[in-house]
Amino acid sequence: MLVTSILVIAVAATYLVSLMVGQSFYSPAEVWGVITGQLVPGASFTVGELRLPRSTVGLLAGACFGIGGAVFQTMLRNPLASPDIIGINAGASAAAVVGIVFLSLDQTPVAILATVGALVTALSIYLLAFKDGGAGARFILIGIGVAAIFNSVVAYVLSRAAEWDLQAAMRWITGNLNGASWNEAVPLAVAVVIGVPVILWLSRDLELMRLGDDTAAALGVPVERRRVMLIIAAVTLLAFATAAAGPISFVAFLAGPIAARMLGPVGSPVLVAGLFGALLVLVADFVGQYLLGLRLPVGVVTGVLGAPYLIFLLIRSSRSGGTL
Amino acid sequence: MTAHRTLTAAGISLAYGDRTIVDTLDLTVPAGKVTAIVGANACGKSTLLKAMARLLPPRAGQVLLDGKDIHRMPTKQVARDLGLLPQSPIAPEGIAVSDLVSRGRTPHHGPLARWTPADDKAVAEALEATDIVAIADRPVDELSGGQRQRVWIAMALAQQTDVLLLDEPTTFLDVSHQIDVLDLLTDLNRSRGTTIVMVLHDLNLAARYADHLVAMSAGRIFASGAPEQVLTAETVHEVFGLDSRVIPDPLTGRPLVLPIGRHHVPARLDGAVS
Repeated sequence: MLVTSILVIAVAATYLVSLMVGQSFYSPAEVWGVITGQLVPGASFTVGELRLPRSTVGLLAGACFGIGGAVFQTMLRNPLASPDIIGINAGASAAAVVGIVFLSLDQTPVAILATVGALVTALSIYLLAFKDGGAGARFILIGIGVAAIFNSVVAYVLSRAAEWDLQAAMRWITGNLNGASWNEAVPLAVAVVIGVPVILWLSRDLELMRLGDDTAAALGVPVERRRVMLIIAAVTLLAFATAAAGPISFVAFLAGPIAARMLGPVGSPVLVAGLFGALLVLVADFVGQYLLGLRLPVGVVTGVLGAPYLIFLLIRSSRSGGTL
Repeated sequence: MTAHRTLTAAGISLAYGDRTIVDTLDLTVPAGKVTAIVGANACGKSTLLKAMARLLPPRAGQVLLDGKDIHRMPTKQVARDLGLLPQSPIAPEGIAVSDLVSRGRTPHHGPLARWTPADDKAVAEALEATDIVAIADRPVDELSGGQRQRVWIAMALAQQTDVLLLDEPTTFLDVSHQIDVLDLLTDLNRSRGTTIVMVLHDLNLAARYADHLVAMSAGRIFASGAPEQVLTAETVHEVFGLDSRVIPDPLTGRPLVLPIGRHHVPARLDGAVS
């Protein structure tokens, strides 16, 4: 409870600061005025049209990545089973760039196509990996292969892209909140409002799956059915977040293990991971915009944070006998 | 004493992919008794236990709990009557003993679970029965193998099922902890009338602790019944391909298998099926 409360406060504070601070400063009262629909000179545009959608997309996308990552990592009992590593984000990106470059689709159809792409990717990996009752390590290895395939699809499509499509398509390579508007924020908010309660409802069973699939089943969890439901719900959140902000790297990967560490062994890490993911994206975007002298996309900042952790995990797992 | 649930397998066939492991097998588990399943490696005994626990749907036939097909019953309902201790359960890093044991109460909770005094009582009884009250606050991953096995059994006890299935509960334990675990399961059977079905490797311990012995070979039941009837030199030869002499255990009168290998036995016994 304490961890959750502290994180809620931290997320709220960072969100507020991201609305107040920028090239020009606005007081909390002015920000509040904009949120409640009053006309505040200057702030109505800067906060209402630029910062508010940007921070909202950052907050929601971060939460989705954190939750989606924690669901996969907990379900497969492995921190490497993060959707950004096992090709689910890559599947969404590949579908999206095909939609933008070859089919000339708009934002919403692209988001839907990305969701379908991510779901097809996840379910294909699932079917390949769990054919005979399956194992987590196989899921991850197949996923890494799938990620490589889709990343080359993305590279190929971009090499064929017309110049005017390139900017929209580039967003699907590095997570980026530049130009985030209400067009991105609204569909994402809808996905969050529907998807997050479903996952929180499933998170009690998810927690029991930490004891192993057999033990969870013995305790009354219909493991196969829950796994499919969790995959669909988590992938939908991930795909909508990717559609709005691009595949912000390593947020899904970092949030789960850090949430589990903050929380200890009891309780479901899903909610904490969502809050941590939101915090991570808001802070990383703020750092990327204002603190480094040059403007960096948020995905570059999170990538710099996440890559060393990935190397650390790989070294640790190879020391502990090579099991993933 | 609880009303005994009956657990039977009716003509079940089990397979992984194309590989058939168990072929049209019938098994009736005697209610309120201790049953041990023995057999050579890969004879299908663990697979059979998985099917009995609803983890593996049979290709043909049914597993019946009180006459109802368990693969058609909701998982949660099955979990209230049927407990399972898998071969290698996983304890989340750092989880405390009492927290893990509490998980056993899950099948008794509705969608809006509230922890009730009945849950507290069940967990306290489970800790008591397995003699782990003193270590209830310690992290499971710091315990010895024997203590850890007690914790998992405690979790299954907290589940308060009429039937408890265990897949090789004594593997990886030294001999004193093996006896310890089997004594504990016998206590449970005698005090609560819990029906126990376990896969065991050690024939002599199986003969001593089981009321009912099932010997499996190549996916079929070779023999079943009282240990004295089942555990003969002929069974050991057929099921394990091992020559042996079977004598009455001087302590209990139950059968005791003395294996005959190529070394360290008098020449006149060499290779004999006595």
